[in-house]
Amino acid sequence: MSNFARTLRQALTVARRDFTATVFTPTFLLFLLAPVLMIGFGTVGGLGAKSIVGDDSQMKMVVIAPAEQAEVLLKTDKQLRKIFPPKSELMPPPLTIAAPDGDPAAQARAFFDSDKFDASAVLFGPLDKPEVLYARRGWTEAQFLTQLAEQTLRAQKLGSAEPVSTVTQTAVKRGQGSPGGRGQAASIGVFAIFFLTLFLSGQAVGTMAEERSNKVIEILAAAVPLESVFFGKLIGMFGAAVLFVLFWATVIINATKLLPPEVIGNFPSLVAVIGAPTYALLFIAYFTMSYMLLGAMFLSIGALTSTQRELQMLSLPITIFQMVMFGLALGAATRTGTWFTLAVEIFPFSSPLAMIGLAGSSPLIWPHLLALAWQALWVAIIITIGARVFRRGVLKSGSPKRKSRLRSAGEKALEAAA
Amino acid sequence: MTGELAVSAQGLVKYFGDRRVVDGVDIAVPKGLVYGVLGPNGAGKTTTLRMLLGIIEPDGGERSMLGRAHPRDASDLVGYLPEERGLYPNMKCREAIAFMGALRGLPWKIGRKRADALLDNAGLGHAKDEKIRKLSKGMAQLVQLLGSVVHEPQLLVLDEPFSGLDPVNQEKLEKLIRAERDRGATILFSTHVMAHAERLCDRLSIIAGGKVRFEGTVNDARATLPMKAHYTPHHNVEGAASLLPADAVREGDGWRFTLPASGIEALLVKLIDGGYGVSGLSIERPGLHDAFVKIVGEDALKDQAQDQEQAA
Repeated sequence: MSNFARTLRQALTVARRDFTATVFTPTFLLFLLAPVLMIGFGTVGGLGAKSIVGDDSQMKMVVIAPAEQAEVLLKTDKQLRKIFPPKSELMPPPLTIAAPDGDPAAQARAFFDSDKFDASAVLFGPLDKPEVLYARRGWTEAQFLTQLAEQTLRAQKLGSAEPVSTVTQTAVKRGQGSPGGRGQAASIGVFAIFFLTLFLSGQAVGTMAEERSNKVIEILAAAVPLESVFFGKLIGMFGAAVLFVLFWATVIINATKLLPPEVIGNFPSLVAVIGAPTYALLFIAYFTMSYMLLGAMFLSIGALTSTQRELQMLSLPITIFQMVMFGLALGAATRTGTWFTLAVEIFPFSSPLAMIGLAGSSPLIWPHLLALAWQALWVAIIITIGARVFRRGVLKSGSPKRKSRLRSAGEKALEAAA
Repeated sequence: MTGELAVSAQGLVKYFGDRRVVDGVDIAVPKGLVYGVLGPNGAGKTTTLRMLLGIIEPDGGERSMLGRAHPRDASDLVGYLPEERGLYPNMKCREAIAFMGALRGLPWKIGRKRADALLDNAGLGHAKDEKIRKLSKGMAQLVQLLGSVVHEPQLLVLDEPFSGLDPVNQEKLEKLIRAERDRGATILFSTHVMAHAERLCDRLSIIAGGKVRFEGTVNDARATLPMKAHYTPHHNVEGAASLLPADAVREGDGWRFTLPASGIEALLVKLIDGGYGVSGLSIERPGLHDAFVKIVGEDALKDQAQDQEQAA
C-alpha cells in the first residue's frame, strides 16, 4: 500500500469514528435543530422589538382641508398609492381628512398629542403653499403629503384626478451580464458560504479535546501520523456539517414548493455569469475549502488548549476572524479588477469567499481551478503545521533550545577530556 | 547477540527543556522474545519506548523497528499499550477493539469478529456491547490490551502493563503475553515490578537516570550478585562465627554470609571438624529484585559522586 493510500485509510478510520461519535448522539439533534431555535427566538425578539417601537396599525396621515377638497384629495391619494407594492411595508399609513378648526397650525400640532391614533405627518394650509409637520420616522409620509398636495392641485387644474395616460407594464428578466445580477449572485454566494462556515467550522475547535482528556491521543499518535489524525478529524466534522447542510437544504427546497407562486416570484433569481450548474458546483467546492481551511486552523489552535475555559475563550476571536474574512470578500465582490480584490482572492482564508464572488461576476473557469488547488495546498500546509506544533507542544517531542544543547555538548567534551 | 532484531536503538537522546531525560540509550530486542525494560520511576523508560515507537522524535541517536528505518513505517505491525490508558468512553467494547485494529490496517469486519473471540477468551464475553464507561478500570484496561493485539502484531509494546490490575487480571495478562510470544510475536514491556519481569523476560535492560545500566538475561542480572548461604550450626552458634567469612551476620539460629568463591564444601568440612556440626544449610540465589537494587543503587551513588565532583 502506498504511503498516500495508507495515510488516507488512516484518516478515514479516524473520520469514521468521529463522524459516528458526533452524529449518533442526542446533542447532534439539538445542533441540527439549532436554526429552528434561532428562527424561533428571532421571531419572538422581533415581535418584542415591534411592540417596543410601536404598532404601525395605529399610524395615520392627516390633511387639514375644507370638505370640498376631500374628494379630490382622496382620489389623488389612491393614485399615488399605486407606486407602492400592495400590502408592502413601504405603503404609507391611511389618510384622514380633517376640516379646519380655528388656528390650523395649532390644530395640526394637536394631532400629534392625540390618544386615538399616532399621527406620522400632518398637512395644513392652502395646497399651493402647504405646511407639513412630521413626527420621528415620519419623513417618508411628509414627502408623500407634499406630493399629494402637488398632485391634488394639478388634478384640480385639470378637473380630474384620473390618469391621463395608459401604460402597459411587462416584467422581464435582467440579462446575466448586468451589474446588478452579477453583484447579486456574488453577494448571495459570499453570504451563504460565510453563514454556513460561521455556523459549522467553529465546531472543529474542540475536536481534539476529547482525545486529550481521554488520553486516547497516545494510542492514535502511536498508530497513525498526527497529520492523518488531524485530517481525519476534519473530514469527520465536515461529514457532520454536510449532513446538517443536506438536512436544511431538503427542508428549504420542500418548504418553498408549498409557497404560492406570487411569493416565489418575489425571490431574487441568481444570474451567475458562469452558468447555474457550474456556479452550484463551485459553491460546493468553495464551501468545502472554506470549511477545511478555517476548520484546520481552528482544530490546530484548539488542539493546543488544555482546558475547556481556554477553548471557550477562543470562540470570540474565531467569530471575529470569520467576520473579517466575510467583510474582505464582500468588499472584493464590489471592486472587481483591483489589487484589493486580488489580495483577498489570494489570501487563503478569504479566498473561497472571494472566489465564489468572482464566479458570480466572471465567466472564466481557470481562475477557479487554480484557486481550488491553492486552497487545497493551504489546507495541507495548515494541517502539517498544526500537527507539528501539537507534536512539539503537547506530545513533548520538541528539541531543547540550541543554547542548552551546545552547553550540554560542551560539558560532555569537558568530561571526555577529563 | 545473534538473530534478527525486532527493535534496535543506538545512542538515543532526549531532552525535556534543559534536562537530558534519555542519555544515549542502546537497545537490541531480538525477534520472538519477551524483553523487559526495567527501571525506577522517572528513569526514562516511557520516553525511550515513545521514541522507539515514533510518537516523539529523539534529539540524538538512531532507531529501527522490524527492519524499518522509521518506526512509523512499521506501525501496522506493532501493538501498543501506553502507560496512560485511554479509550473513548462512549464506544462499545467490540467497537473499541475493532477501531484500534482498524487504525493498524485491520478491516472493521474482521476486527469485530476477532474482538468477539478475544473478549470471550479473556472472560469478557458478556461485555461485548457494553460501553467502555460502564466497565471497571481493570476491565477497561484489559479491553485496551485486547485492542493492541487484535491485528496480531509482530511486535507488542506494553508500557507498565501491570499497573492498576488486580492479581487475577495480572495473571490473565501474563498468560496473554506468553500466548503472544508463542504466536511468534516479540514483546517489549516496561515495568518497575521485578516479579513480573523475573517470570516473563527472556532478556532485559535496566535503565536508570536515562542510561542503560545493565543488559542481559534475568540470570545474568542475578549473577551480578554473589550467592548467599544460610548456615545453622548444631552446637555453639556464636563460636562458629570464627570459621565463617567476614561478612557473616547473625540471622535467627544461624548465620548468613556470601558464598565463598571456592565453594561451600571446604567450609563445611572445617565447621564439622571444628565440632559445630550442621543443623541446617541453604544456598540462596539472589533475586532480580536484589540485582535491580544493586545495579540502580550503585549507579545512583556513582552519579551522586560525579555531581559532587563537578560541583567541587
